[in-house]
Amino acid sequence: MIRLYHVSKTYGDHAALQDINLKVAKGEFCYITGPSGAGKTTLLKLLYAAEKPSEGKVLVGGVDVTSLSRRRRPFLRRNIGVIFQDFKLIPTRTVAENVSLSMEVLGYPRATIQRRVRAVLSIVGLKGRENNLPAQLSGGEQQRVAVARAIVNDPAVLLADEPTGNLDGGMAIEVIEILQAINLRGTTVMVATHDMALMDRFPYRALRFVQGKLVRERPCRL
Amino acid sequence: MAHVLRRAFRSLWENLYLNLVATGVIAASVLMLGVFLMVMYNLNAITHSWASDVHVSAYFRADVPTERCFELKEQVAAMPGIEAVRFVSEQEARGYLVDQLPETEPVLLELGEGVLPASLEITLVPTMAHEQGIRDMVAALDMPELEEVDYGQQWVERFNSFLALLRLLGVILGGLIAIAAVFLVANTIHLVVYSRRTELETMRLVGATDEIIMAPFIIEGLVQGVLGSGIGIVGLVVMHRWVILRLQQALDLTLAEDPLAFLPLDYTLALLIVGVLLGVLGAWSAVYRFLAKAP
Repeated sequence: MIRLYHVSKTYGDHAALQDINLKVAKGEFCYITGPSGAGKTTLLKLLYAAEKPSEGKVLVGGVDVTSLSRRRRPFLRRNIGVIFQDFKLIPTRTVAENVSLSMEVLGYPRATIQRRVRAVLSIVGLKGRENNLPAQLSGGEQQRVAVARAIVNDPAVLLADEPTGNLDGGMAIEVIEILQAINLRGTTVMVATHDMALMDRFPYRALRFVQGKLVRERPCRL
Repeated sequence: MAHVLRRAFRSLWENLYLNLVATGVIAASVLMLGVFLMVMYNLNAITHSWASDVHVSAYFRADVPTERCFELKEQVAAMPGIEAVRFVSEQEARGYLVDQLPETEPVLLELGEGVLPASLEITLVPTMAHEQGIRDMVAALDMPELEEVDYGQQWVERFNSFLALLRLLGVILGGLIAIAAVFLVANTIHLVVYSRRTELETMRLVGATDEIIMAPFIIEGLVQGVLGSGIGIVGLVVMHRWVILRLQQALDLTLAEDPLAFLPLDYTLALLIVGVLLGVLGAWSAVYRFLAKAP
């Protein structure tokens, strides 16, 4: 599902990623881990085409992201759900409106959107909070709204950037369980995290990055 | 489409103040352009009416016999573009001059005959009564029997040159107003875009195409354009009825027989289109600037 061939990314003199070769199979659950500045977020950005690699080739679902034109980028992103580190929730929109955004851009009818949004909010445990604004939710609830928005279109790939970074232990486990459930339905999931406890509790394959290099790989122990 | 429309009207409402500012800018621009167009339109109409009322006077040499004058009159009457030709003898010319300026009679009596030449008073058909038509006619009257051809239109030509200069200035001024309006509208909409940047960035990241992101803003620009130009045109009507006509009466301006006219329908529609284009172009340029930097 995801292939990286000799991928490097530099910002000026700083090398965020160096010669990364990687393969993530369809339906796999995989962590990207490492300390701050290891290149985790950069790697995810390359996958959803928010950044272009300085060198190498990135394939997602058989599509060469590297040579993807600006006009084709949205069509790639429609198959990729992204949970952003800062949630990227729209403060003036309700929970339901935030989640429905992903479906609205695809032109789904209103009734379908409402039905699907209700179902997804129920999955992430936010039933009854549809009409709340993000500011009226806790950090954990906001995180779940971001998860709901990322999965509402049933994407082939789900990328999560520190999805548990703002959560306490119990909530973090809940979020990973949601991602696990999505993965069990066939979605390829990549989670950037530095939460070792969580990785031990859910021991999927883990790729450790340090200073932009892939230094170690832990296979799935499930 | 329903989502796009809903987002457009929601944004119009949520950013009411900024949208009112953009609409006001368009209205002011349309009003300024409209006033300018109205002035130009009326000046054109006045000069056109003056220019179309052209009489060419061809003066005979003193030694041309009257019979020859009548032959030439027939010859001129047969020329294309001539509506009427009238022979004016010296006596008639004297009578006309004395009628108009009685104090000249003693002078004319003292000078005796042969002072005022006989002439042909030529009226052109309206389609010929333009600068080139008159010039062609004057060229055709280049006959040895004629001493001078006067068509009293040199000053209209000069006025036309002045009008052409005014028109050029108008195009420059109109262009500058339009550019300033696009700039102001674009910056106002850019503020709306900026206030919604998180939403737009997120939309792009969840797979919205540029067209989907841009469409609501274009609709907003369209609404602002229609409202703005509508307000501008209503302002122009009010200005025409209450200001220009009253000013004209107060200053007793009698440049033309008719009072200064309002713009004809096609000009008014053009103003409406200009307003709509200002709104749409402003919106497009604001969102385009944002999207060019979006991931």
